Amino acid sequence: MSASGRRRRGALDSGFTMDETVAEYIRRTVLKIPRHQIMEMLTMWEFLSKTQLETINVHQLKERISQEVVELCEENSASIKQAAILDMIYNYTYRNKKVWTVYQMTKAAGEETDSFNLADFKYKFKRSLRSALKNVTINFREYEDNAIWIRIAWGTQYTKPNQYKATYVVYHSQTPYVFISSLRSSIPLLCQALVHASNYHDIHEMELRSRCIDSLKDIVFKRYSQTFQTYHPRPLQERNVAPEKVDPRIIQENKREKERIQSVNQEVFGEGLQPKIEFAQYKLETMFKGEPEMDILTEKEPFRCVVKFSSPHLLEALKSLAPAGMADAPLSPLLTCIPQKARNYFKIKERKGILSASCLGP
Amino acid sequence: MRRSGRRQDMDTPDSGGMTPLGRKTAETGINFTSTTRFSRGLTFIRTHTLFGQSPTRRIIPQTSLLQENADPQKIAFLLRKQWTLYSVTPMYKFSYGNLKEYSRLLSAFVAAEKQKGLAVEVGNDLGIKVTLSTLLGLKGTDQDQVAILVQIASRSQLPFENAENKVVWSGWFCCISGDDLLESVPEDFTCLSLFLANGAESYTAIVGSWFQKTFDCYFSRLTISPLNLAWMAAMWTGCKVDSHMAATELVFSVPCIPQSLDISYAIHPEDAKALWDTVQKTPGEVTQEEVNLFMDCLYSHFHRHFKIHLSATRLVKVSTSIASAHCDGNIKILHSKHLIGVLTLLTELAISQIQ
Repeated sequence: MSASGRRRRGALDSGFTMDETVAEYIRRTVLKIPRHQIMEMLTMWEFLSKTQLETINVHQLKERISQEVVELCEENSASIKQAAILDMIYNYTYRNKKVWTVYQMTKAAGEETDSFNLADFKYKFKRSLRSALKNVTINFREYEDNAIWIRIAWGTQYTKPNQYKATYVVYHSQTPYVFISSLRSSIPLLCQALVHASNYHDIHEMELRSRCIDSLKDIVFKRYSQTFQTYHPRPLQERNVAPEKVDPRIIQENKREKERIQSVNQEVFGEGLQPKIEFAQYKLETMFKGEPEMDILTEKEPFRCVVKFSSPHLLEALKSLAPAGMADAPLSPLLTCIPQKARNYFKIKERKGILSASCLGP
Repeated sequence: MRRSGRRQDMDTPDSGGMTPLGRKTAETGINFTSTTRFSRGLTFIRTHTLFGQSPTRRIIPQTSLLQENADPQKIAFLLRKQWTLYSVTPMYKFSYGNLKEYSRLLSAFVAAEKQKGLAVEVGNDLGIKVTLSTLLGLKGTDQDQVAILVQIASRSQLPFENAENKVVWSGWFCCISGDDLLESVPEDFTCLSLFLANGAESYTAIVGSWFQKTFDCYFSRLTISPLNLAWMAAMWTGCKVDSHMAATELVFSVPCIPQSLDISYAIHPEDAKALWDTVQKTPGEVTQEEVNLFMDCLYSHFHRHFKIHLSATRLVKVSTSIASAHCDGNIKILHSKHLIGVLTLLTELAISQIQ
């Protein structure tokens, strides 16, 4: 539905007419917001006054609500900057809907870490992007956990920025990690701007992608309960478990084995909740080797396959496989190393007959 | 030969789609009002199965070219589309000469069913037209019945749009090389055991109930067991494909764990074929042992890397260069060269289900 041809109602005689594209963008953003969160997000936005907010009736059709908001924005002479901020608020709340890729920045050898200056960072970032591309919309928003959110809408030399396909960047200034989503083609430009603004030397994409950005942060910031991979099984730790009233005639078969599996699983996965990722992909280029009695494939070529695991909560699902009897315990390190290695895309090649994951690029 | 079986009350709905063997078919949400179930009069003689079990060996279908009278356009229409599979019991007093009459009757039936509950003037034409036509060339042997294509076209209601009819639903019946599985079929019966549908399920239900009412047959959803999916994976991987080869992909779903987990295992087509060629030894024939060995090889290669027993999971989908099949009974065939081969296997599954 295009905004053209629609008269601006309620415009004051200030001589300001809000840009139609801005109005339409605000309208569509408000339409996306679930009804029960509209007031909360508009309040967070801090663009409409309290009295203005009170005039909005959230119990009518969403189409009507968004219309009312647009009219109020017209009164306040909203520009694209304000519209972008509302969009950022929406996307921060629903940040786990997008697919995020993790990038890591590196310093050159011998370089020192300067203290971070936010104003400096913003200035340099904008300058770097704008010098390459005139038509960009750049907005910043800071959050309590030292996260800097950057929203970039890309245009070309001749076209205005496309607000509907904006890229989002989350940068934690105390770390070398950057989380980027919805990036289509302007990767080099963005990377260059990030490196320049943060005083780093280089940036590379990690093989780590997921929707739940909070879990990605847990993985790279090592905020999950870590395990120390040992080769000596430790005895099962005592836990305060009330003894069940079980009929003594019932014997659990394989009790020892079950306990061993639990204990090994715990060692390998740790006690706490696993970080939430949705998929893992393995590109295998190892030699085929079946059971010794299978006289198969004497060729010297690798057996190429691609294995993809997907689940709403992959690591928890993998953790439950051995207790369910569908996998051996301990599970393969290829799977259990995901949080530790901070990657979920792997390329596995044969190396001297011993299986190992090589951290090759894509 | 008299028709056996009791004629049920037309209005009583069928009990959840039970097949004669007592196996429940997948819940489809369609409620066919069934009439009779054909139980006697058709004896199935299968030389290599016992009690409805899967055969221990199958002949590799030669890439049988379609018969000369095949219409390439119609055949092309069947390819690269997702079809939902049904098995159909033999139809009573179906006549190939009456296709035009059937088209007319079915058109009226579909229009009437569609208008149910709508406040529309009686006789108002919703622009629905059903055509039944033959699909020539889809035969495995000369004894096979000619395949039938049913299409529902809807005339656009908007005045300024092109008044051409747009096909909104298609379904086709066929029976490829079914004759060696069906013996002593009485004269009045036509065996078109496999039915494939594409389009809205509401139309499938309407067309299905018309056929059931008119020809006293019974449709049931044809699901594909993991065992048969494994057969498909093995047999289709072994097929020679001239053009672009696609990976052999197996999709497994892991049951019995709190979070659902899906595993996709895609093997490079050349490597998969190389493995199959090493396994498959009997010329012209595929045995159960060979299929098992092929799958076990894939499972053990997987286990070696991930320590997960794929054999404990459930195979739900198989995709190859030839075709892809899903356990719910969905199929997509990609090459006309292998159309007959795939349909032969599906016909066998359909007949085995209605046995």
